[in-house]
Amino acid sequence: MEIISCSHVNFAYPGCEEDVLKDVSFSIRRSEFVVLCGKSGCGKSTLLRHLKKNLMPYGKLEGHILYCGEEVENLDDRVSTSQIGFVQQNPDNQIVTDKVWHELAFGLESLGLESRIMKQRVAEMASFFGIQTWFRKNVSELSGGQKQLLNLASIMVMQPKLLILDEPTSQLDPIAASDFLATLKKINTELGTTILISEHRLEELLPMADRVLVMEHGQLAIDDGPREAAALVASGVCREMFYGLPAVVKIASAVKPEGRFPLTVREGRLWLEECLGQPGHETPEKNKRPRLRPHTVKSAQSTSMPSVVSMHDVWFRYGKTSLDTLRGVELAVREGELFAILGGNGVGKTTTLKALTRLVKPYRGTIEIRGKRLEKLSDMELFHHGLAMLPQNPQALFTEITVREELLEALSDEKLPEDEQAARVAEISREMELDSLLETHPYDLSGGEQQRLALGKILLRQPAILLLDEPTKGLDPFFKRTLADIFKRLCQSGMTILMVTHDIEFCAEYADRCALFFDGEIVSCGTPKEFFSGNSFYTTTANRVAGQWFPDAITWEEVAARCGGDIK
Amino acid sequence: MVTDAYSVREGLGEAAAFYRSHPLLNFSYFAIVIGVTMFAMHPVFLLSSFFMAWCYSILLRGIKAIRFNCLVLIPAILLMTLFNTLNVHNGVTVLFYLNDNRITLEAIIYGLASAIMLTSVIIWFSCFSVIVTADKFIYLFGRAAPVLALTLSMIMRYIPLLQHRFREVAAAQRCMGRGLKGSSWIKRIRQFGKEVSILIAWSLEASIESADSMEARGYGLRGRSSFHLFRFAGGEKVLLAAILLLGGAVVAACAAGSMSIYYYPAILLPRFTVLQWISLAAYLGLMSIPMVLDMRGIHEWKLSHAAM
Repeated sequence: MEIISCSHVNFAYPGCEEDVLKDVSFSIRRSEFVVLCGKSGCGKSTLLRHLKKNLMPYGKLEGHILYCGEEVENLDDRVSTSQIGFVQQNPDNQIVTDKVWHELAFGLESLGLESRIMKQRVAEMASFFGIQTWFRKNVSELSGGQKQLLNLASIMVMQPKLLILDEPTSQLDPIAASDFLATLKKINTELGTTILISEHRLEELLPMADRVLVMEHGQLAIDDGPREAAALVASGVCREMFYGLPAVVKIASAVKPEGRFPLTVREGRLWLEECLGQPGHETPEKNKRPRLRPHTVKSAQSTSMPSVVSMHDVWFRYGKTSLDTLRGVELAVREGELFAILGGNGVGKTTTLKALTRLVKPYRGTIEIRGKRLEKLSDMELFHHGLAMLPQNPQALFTEITVREELLEALSDEKLPEDEQAARVAEISREMELDSLLETHPYDLSGGEQQRLALGKILLRQPAILLLDEPTKGLDPFFKRTLADIFKRLCQSGMTILMVTHDIEFCAEYADRCALFFDGEIVSCGTPKEFFSGNSFYTTTANRVAGQWFPDAITWEEVAARCGGDIK
Repeated sequence: MVTDAYSVREGLGEAAAFYRSHPLLNFSYFAIVIGVTMFAMHPVFLLSSFFMAWCYSILLRGIKAIRFNCLVLIPAILLMTLFNTLNVHNGVTVLFYLNDNRITLEAIIYGLASAIMLTSVIIWFSCFSVIVTADKFIYLFGRAAPVLALTLSMIMRYIPLLQHRFREVAAAQRCMGRGLKGSSWIKRIRQFGKEVSILIAWSLEASIESADSMEARGYGLRGRSSFHLFRFAGGEKVLLAAILLLGGAVVAACAAGSMSIYYYPAILLPRFTVLQWISLAAYLGLMSIPMVLDMRGIHEWKLSHAAM
């Protein structure tokens, strides 16, 4: 029985010539787990919103969208509310009440249920999601992952038959994202709820899915099982989606494009074993594994490059009696390098950035910026052509109504002639690939474009050192490559970039050096090769798959090349 | 040991027994007590309310209450009394003349009485704010209008969210080299304005998603109900009956005029009859209910731990 069926759906926003959806037809059966993917702006969100009555966008719609055989447009409001659940991207913006228990009951209140029944339903769902321990908390005390789980749970209390999710994990760190996806899988297998989810990160999602839909320029290009869809993408259909595929698929497609593709790390290992044989004890490469040097400031100072940012024995705690957040941080970043600090949540990564920008003051230790003690610098010396930080939310910088004015605003307090200003804005907008968007409102840009606008704004201030807090959060894989290219160019021009991130794959591919932050200090540091090849868990997927054969191959390209594959 | 259950420094706060009672009890208690305090100007009733308010505020808020009551309220009482004395010249008992103005005993006493009334009300409200938290308020109004309850809850949600966002905006602007220490104050005021406008634009944009999320969960359907976690247990019915009975008696006595007193032109106290004694006892009984509950709570806790 089909729960959703779309036939020949065309849609255009008012005032737009081009259709956002072009002749889209597909159907979803009961209890299926379907993944919808595609480049940002390909019409995924528009399509998903058409499946929920109250969220349907205004515009010109042709074709039929049926829920259980009835037009979604004509569904009864109560049926639409309770049977079709919709989870959006941003964990914070979806929460409307102040207490966890109240948020859980929001939908049930709308349906006008009796208090007794609500209590039972809320209790049931809180137990299913493991929310009991934070049931009475204020929502402002929750972590991002908890907030998104709460959003999911507050929809599940209404016992929907169909759950639609629009990039639900894009704002979460990888561990919270895995938890969230595991919960989704549990909902699908244990409650039989039909799931339709759009997502960029396919690494974990692909093995869970029954079916994959790939959209390109408003059309449905692929509608197939996960293995078959992966094979189609690897063979060149929707080429742009290739970078979003799991690393195992990318390796397999380069080495043996015709066979059955592995989807998980486990399958990948077995597949490599078939190709290469058992990883023998005599593998000579095992002994060649590069040794990771214990991280000290000396090792950084001994090299010829002077360090631009250095921290020595820095200690900090938030409250007088609370535990230390930073416990003797040692850090030395050299001029012109892209330095990445990796690590889990709450280990002190962001606090380190705050210490550098003087938002918090360490009680012990020294911090030097370009050879000068941080506390000796005035705010003006520190931030004017010195340090600059890209905030996690680019919106925190936007004040104007067009991209051009936004960029000009960055120069507003520097006394430059107008043509000079215009020239610099033109240069930076070319650099950030924003030329075609200069008259657009900043809030009408996509997440990745907003990120680049914010970066462009910061760069117009001509900083020498750029601090980045989670720059790849919520970006699609295609966009990440653009961003990496920009970073590379900046480093080559002499800028030093220090970034804090969860994105292991990004660091492995593009960082000059990586450091692991744990328990308030930096425990290891080295080039991506030195850094990742020593780890068995905290490393890239490609390295986890092929580490037994090629310990020093970090990226999927390296593994594929070692296996004799050809990389297009 | 008493200190296990109750620390004198901190006060009981949210550990108070009355805090856990049903909001209806909390609300009716404070409504009656504060109401009677405001209208019963008889000195005996005023002083008993003043005394009980002190006791309960110290029990709830510990040393903070003592500090506030002594440092702020006692000077305030003296000031208000002085103000009334110097500005009101009614009354028959003239004590002396000041710049050709009569200073009367009645004015002094009336000033003192109204100052004590006002401060008692303030102290009772400080207790009220500990016991009746936002979600109890929301619950009580939600019974009448679910939309109002939701609105209050949303306001409580947005205050911390906006604070957090504003800090983020300010930090981001600082890291761009804006609004730094050492720039002129005109620049800093303009920068502040800019930060507020960023906050507003950002929040409006975010609220579109919030509206979608509400819409997706059926906001606007007819017949909205209101969820809460409060239980009206058997014992609480007895307590509510006690509050209403005692409160009713006191209010009736008030209405009958047994607590009224004339200050001008001369002080005229009604005679203290059996009726007055009964209503005073009822009043004291009513006011002491939460403290009795707390004492019982501390005692129960001690007993259960002594047994272990």
